[in-house]
Amino acid sequence: MTESNVALVAHLMRRAGFGATRSQLEEYVDKGYHATVDELLHPVDPQRMPDEMIRRYHAEQSGMMGQNSPGAYWLYRMISTTAPLHEKIALFWHSVFATGYTKITQGKVLIDQIRMFRRYGLGSFRELLVELSKDPAMIIWLDNQDNHNGSINENYGRELLELFSMGVGNYTEQDVKECARSFTGWTIANTEYMELRARRDSIWPYGRIAWHFEYREEDHDDGEKTFLGETGRFNGEDIIDIICRQPATARFISRHLYHFFVADEPPVPQWPYTPPRDPAAIETLSRVYFDSSYSISAMLEALFKSEWFQSKETWFEKVKSPAELVASVLRLTGEFERPRREILDTAMHIVYMGQHLINPPSVEGWHQGVEWIDTGTLVERVNFASKHLGNLDAPGVRAIVERIKSQLGPMISPERLVDGCLDQMGAISVSPESRNVLIQFASEQGDLTVDGPDANGHVDRRVTDTMQVIAATHEFQRA
Amino acid sequence: MSLANGNRALVVIQLSGGNDGLNTVIPYNNELYYDQRPSVHIEQGQVLRLDDELGLSPALGPIKRLWDQDKVAVINGIGYPNPNRSHFRSMDVWHTAETDKVGSEGWLGRAIRDLDPKADNVLTGVNFGRGLPRALACKDVPVASVANVETYGLLPDIQDERAKALALKAFSMMYGGADGKDAVAQFLSQTGMNALKGADILRTAPAKYSSTVEYASTPIADSLKNIAQVICADLGTRVYYAQHGSFDTHAAELDSHAKLWKDVSDAIGDFTDDLREHDREDDVVILVFSEFGRRIMDNGSGTDHGSGSAAFVIGGPVQGGMYGEYPSLKPADQLEGDLHFSTDFRSAYSTILEQWFGLDAVPIVNGTFEQLDFIRR
Amino acid sequence: MSATRAETAFLSYQRTIGLSTMEGRGFYYPADTAIGADEKLYVVSRSLEGDARGVRVTVCNPDSEYFGTFASSGEEDGQLIWPTAIDIDPDGRVFITDEYTNRISIFDTSGDFRSAWGVSGTEEGQLDGPSGLVLDGDNNVYVADHQNHRIQKFTSDGQFLLAFGSRGDGEGQLNLPWGMTIDGQGDLYVADWRNDRIQKFAPEGRFLATYGSPGRGDGQFHRPASVAVDPEGYMYVADWGNERVQVLDPSGAFVTKLRGEATDSVWALDFLRINVEEAEARARANLEPKMDFFDDDPHDESSHIEKYFWAPVSVKLDSAGRLYVTESNRHRIQIYQRG
Repeated sequence: MTESNVALVAHLMRRAGFGATRSQLEEYVDKGYHATVDELLHPVDPQRMPDEMIRRYHAEQSGMMGQNSPGAYWLYRMISTTAPLHEKIALFWHSVFATGYTKITQGKVLIDQIRMFRRYGLGSFRELLVELSKDPAMIIWLDNQDNHNGSINENYGRELLELFSMGVGNYTEQDVKECARSFTGWTIANTEYMELRARRDSIWPYGRIAWHFEYREEDHDDGEKTFLGETGRFNGEDIIDIICRQPATARFISRHLYHFFVADEPPVPQWPYTPPRDPAAIETLSRVYFDSSYSISAMLEALFKSEWFQSKETWFEKVKSPAELVASVLRLTGEFERPRREILDTAMHIVYMGQHLINPPSVEGWHQGVEWIDTGTLVERVNFASKHLGNLDAPGVRAIVERIKSQLGPMISPERLVDGCLDQMGAISVSPESRNVLIQFASEQGDLTVDGPDANGHVDRRVTDTMQVIAATHEFQRA
Repeated sequence: MSLANGNRALVVIQLSGGNDGLNTVIPYNNELYYDQRPSVHIEQGQVLRLDDELGLSPALGPIKRLWDQDKVAVINGIGYPNPNRSHFRSMDVWHTAETDKVGSEGWLGRAIRDLDPKADNVLTGVNFGRGLPRALACKDVPVASVANVETYGLLPDIQDERAKALALKAFSMMYGGADGKDAVAQFLSQTGMNALKGADILRTAPAKYSSTVEYASTPIADSLKNIAQVICADLGTRVYYAQHGSFDTHAAELDSHAKLWKDVSDAIGDFTDDLREHDREDDVVILVFSEFGRRIMDNGSGTDHGSGSAAFVIGGPVQGGMYGEYPSLKPADQLEGDLHFSTDFRSAYSTILEQWFGLDAVPIVNGTFEQLDFIRR
Repeated sequence: MSATRAETAFLSYQRTIGLSTMEGRGFYYPADTAIGADEKLYVVSRSLEGDARGVRVTVCNPDSEYFGTFASSGEEDGQLIWPTAIDIDPDGRVFITDEYTNRISIFDTSGDFRSAWGVSGTEEGQLDGPSGLVLDGDNNVYVADHQNHRIQKFTSDGQFLLAFGSRGDGEGQLNLPWGMTIDGQGDLYVADWRNDRIQKFAPEGRFLATYGSPGRGDGQFHRPASVAVDPEGYMYVADWGNERVQVLDPSGAFVTKLRGEATDSVWALDFLRINVEEAEARARANLEPKMDFFDDDPHDESSHIEKYFWAPVSVKLDSAGRLYVTESNRHRIQIYQRG
């Protein structure tokens, strides 16, 4: 096992998951990089905190009436799963097919949408778009319940093309209308009552009622349509077939995957005017898209196994999203091995950092990259990470400290302390400048002697002090 | 106004959850009120009378005192067309001044951008509470979110004082000097230094402040005391934000509504006393709003989500009085059992933006709205 | 068909009480119900994290008369964080467990706080997550010390008497036990939650019997939360993870199962009377849709079909043979009459 292998797998786990502890990294390295990618894509018997455990203690994470319980529930999954890419891909599709609480006004149908992303998100893009078009939260979010035979509402038809598949410039206004016509009759059951409850934020009399898809044949416009040059009596699924055949769709989805998993691209509205950062990578992914009949997992396999993904040039190129930052800290600290009431307060920090899961600011989702950072959110990010990494009661922190003491003691120089912490926190590679600052910080407190009993916890505290400053480095804030 | 424009500040107090306007500004001579509120009403004899028709809930004593000093503008029937009765959507409307589509920029974020176009002062806007309300969100506008001024800053959880000082030094070395870094690193560095600077400045405020006013021990009083400290420290902050709740009084409303308003009203009373003691009363306008009102008919123990409510603008610079028409309670005039709004909330925003801050309100509130003359000239 | 007739005869639906409210009249994620004198019901609401409201005991009766609330959210005396079980002794003392603070709080039936006891830990007499609670005929208290995977018995003022059970799935072992009840002989029935079974113990803790096995079929359980026993020895089980109630005969044989048939409560009708548009839209809606569900977890089904049990956390019997099923996610109690 070479250290460069560990660092490379650490990069993979930051991107395909939410980071990993040093001992987990060692297990992955033993398996090998490619085998690890395969396991991430096709996990066998994945384990996580079971839903029953979560629901027993957190009633609201069972009933999902409000806006905050879905984020707490999802955080449990992100930090406990052995199949982190399933959560990551759900987060990816949530940021592409952004659907928000402000209009839906209940957590249940939104967390149901996330569950759908988990099930279909690594499969065929065609199947995913069909499920998306039937998703009750999406239908209400983009008004498809108002899209009627003879009186269309274009909202979903337009965003399906503009934001969910092809991007602007690849279709005409007429295509938008024909697309919308094809999705007439795709609605949710009990539309009037469910819409009214959403508008009134009603939890009465007995809590929320989940929504489900309903196809109304009599409200579907079965007439002939011409869409992207093809003509027929298209229904929604036919439209999705045509969309999926478009090179523009392949490029758009490829760029999204690159943006999320490889390196930050500018916000989506700028894509028509700004070439991709790595056009060859987009071409490769587009080719795999067609060769695999639109398989997202095939695209991701190509992505993770590519040279441009593994290249050190891309390491730490992304700014961690708030969900990634919080989940990566908690996977290190191991504070939630069993359900604890504090999960909600902890998950709220994702909101304070500017990412209210299941409530993106608009249909465009969150702008990523540096737009995660402002003075307020940076303070939240640094303080959250440093607070939790300084908590010696957390089993993961305790384990890191003990490993450093036993492996590096009895006399630990500032250099070895810093390098040991960086390594134990997930094989983090920092710039020489950052490393120098950390070493200076450690040396101003002198050499560390791990000899004899640590009565007042001084040694432990020195280690966590260093970890708390590492939490503030650019590299820890990036992925 | 004796002071230069640059001292003028706005304090926004958000009453989260939908304040029952009918039990706040009470039409105590209107039988329709008592008919439709058989269980959840304020007795005529308890009302703090403002005029022959309207009075305040007894929980608003300190606000009544300010009314008597002509410093309270009551804005009746405030709302917007096609009201939404979902907390989240309606709050978004108020935050973004966007009634038809989902907006992402906040009206106060835009105001801060226009007050400080080059973002020279990282503290032009300060939010008291966790997480930035959308009202303050605007690209490239730095706003500090502060839970407590005295503990605000970076790395508060490093326990040892010396270690913390060294850690902050390390932070400033890592985030200082952006030479040779990529664009993301430069941005991170600059933001980090701004955060450090903002925290350092903000933390000086409590030390500079002393007052004979003793605030109650409630979250809203804590926030307003912090705001007074920052105002008195002259840090150039123009927009302050605080919130209190939850005003979502579906059940047991009489007790909880009274308690909520007592907390808010006492805090506002203490805050204005504090400003007067520091000779800053004429620098500050307070806006108190909620995302919607509640149903006219009570449900036996509380009230459900409605529309149309009352807002208050309070302070030395305010021309006290009634603004906007009090909505009719007649069944025929109701909107699905709710009050019709008479005054667009963007009128209140426009008035504050133009008459208090001297800004062009049109691009901030997305349109032209009638001005209400509640700022003294 | 004959089976169906037998099922309806055994337990018949009577009515629903409740309404989702954070304060006052109504419940908010109710955790358990105790039946006191004069048919009074004491319903403890667990509410949710992140909001100080909602946690309380609502006092009402099966006729939807509302008498008030007591207790609130917090860690002070008279406050609760994660209330889980409630029971009342013949002197009118109300016992409530709190899984978060590891305390048992005692109130009188007028809602005044009397005392509290309980110390966190794993030693005998210490608690880690007291979930279920039941009083025996001598006013001693059995507590399901669930994270310690055991049952402990205390005097009503908290003196430790005995403990039994350890983590495992063997006879007499427990895994995260939850609700409990006591029969006429003083034997104890425990919803052995993670082991998907009900276990019966003698008063001093000797293992007597086990009922049920993991699964979704008749007589099988998935994470049972609560059990009640009638004078004839029939067992009523809140089969929480299967979102249903099952009845077993004294030998443990399957008798019947209920999926729930809630109707609008008196308090619900009050709400709908004032909120007319909602009432009208509700009347026009089909609240029992036929649809495909995401998976075989009935949790999903219950989220869509309002009348079905959703998170049935507690079953209690009164002396008139009525069964009270408290549903956390639906903020209500369905009442059934033994035929």
